Amino acid sequence: MKQYQRSHEPIAWSLFGAGGMVVAFIIPALVLVTGLILPGLESSEVFANLLVFAQGWIGKLFLFATISLTLYHTVHRIYHGLHDLHIEGNDTIMLVLFYGSATLLSIVCFSWLMVI
Amino acid sequence: MNRKPYIQKQSATWWVKNPFYRFYMLREATSVPVLLYGLFLLWGLYCLSQGEAAFTLWLEKAGSPVSSFFHVIVLASALLHAYTWFQLTPKIMVLRFGKFRIPDLWVMIAHYLAFVLVSAIIIGLTLSQLAG
Repeated sequence: MKQYQRSHEPIAWSLFGAGGMVVAFIIPALVLVTGLILPGLESSEVFANLLVFAQGWIGKLFLFATISLTLYHTVHRIYHGLHDLHIEGNDTIMLVLFYGSATLLSIVCFSWLMVI
Repeated sequence: MNRKPYIQKQSATWWVKNPFYRFYMLREATSVPVLLYGLFLLWGLYCLSQGEAAFTLWLEKAGSPVSSFFHVIVLASALLHAYTWFQLTPKIMVLRFGKFRIPDLWVMIAHYLAFVLVSAIIIGLTLSQLAG
């Protein structure tokens, strides 16, 4: 029987879709928070309160989902965007470079959240 | 592989002349500033884990003029993404109750309402929980 190679697309698209929701719903407000609100506040208070947030499970889940899904969403778009621009590379290398780096950075994000 | 697919040659600038394709490319390009913003958040998380001195430095950078310019670009990108995403979702989320199909417009409006609600919650919680 012929062995078919499974496409990575269903998994990649699920992460892209979930990330698309995050970028649409969460990122605009978060940009106002990090660009406008937080720099205007007392930094020691922001640090203490944000640390408590990142130490709680809701905060960990929020930060992990936001950062990781944003990364997966954007690398998926850039990967396909380069294809649209006819910038082609070796398939495996491109997949590892884009989805691999999103995965690696998600693991990094997860580990920082675990030790914080 | 023994098949020889015919690949039509297409120039890399195929999208430049058509406004529809240009907008498509602009939509896809929004992912670049948003990716950088994801990395910026990750950097902030790292600084937060390293203690107050590192975090204060990050917060100072976040308030710098270069960062403000960056945030404006990211905001515009994320809003353009949100607009195109909400145009798209009614086509993907087809909700039926018996023979009645929820109109696309309702699904879209629900997304915009949710957008306002989520944004208000994030900003409200930031102002009430992080400031004091």
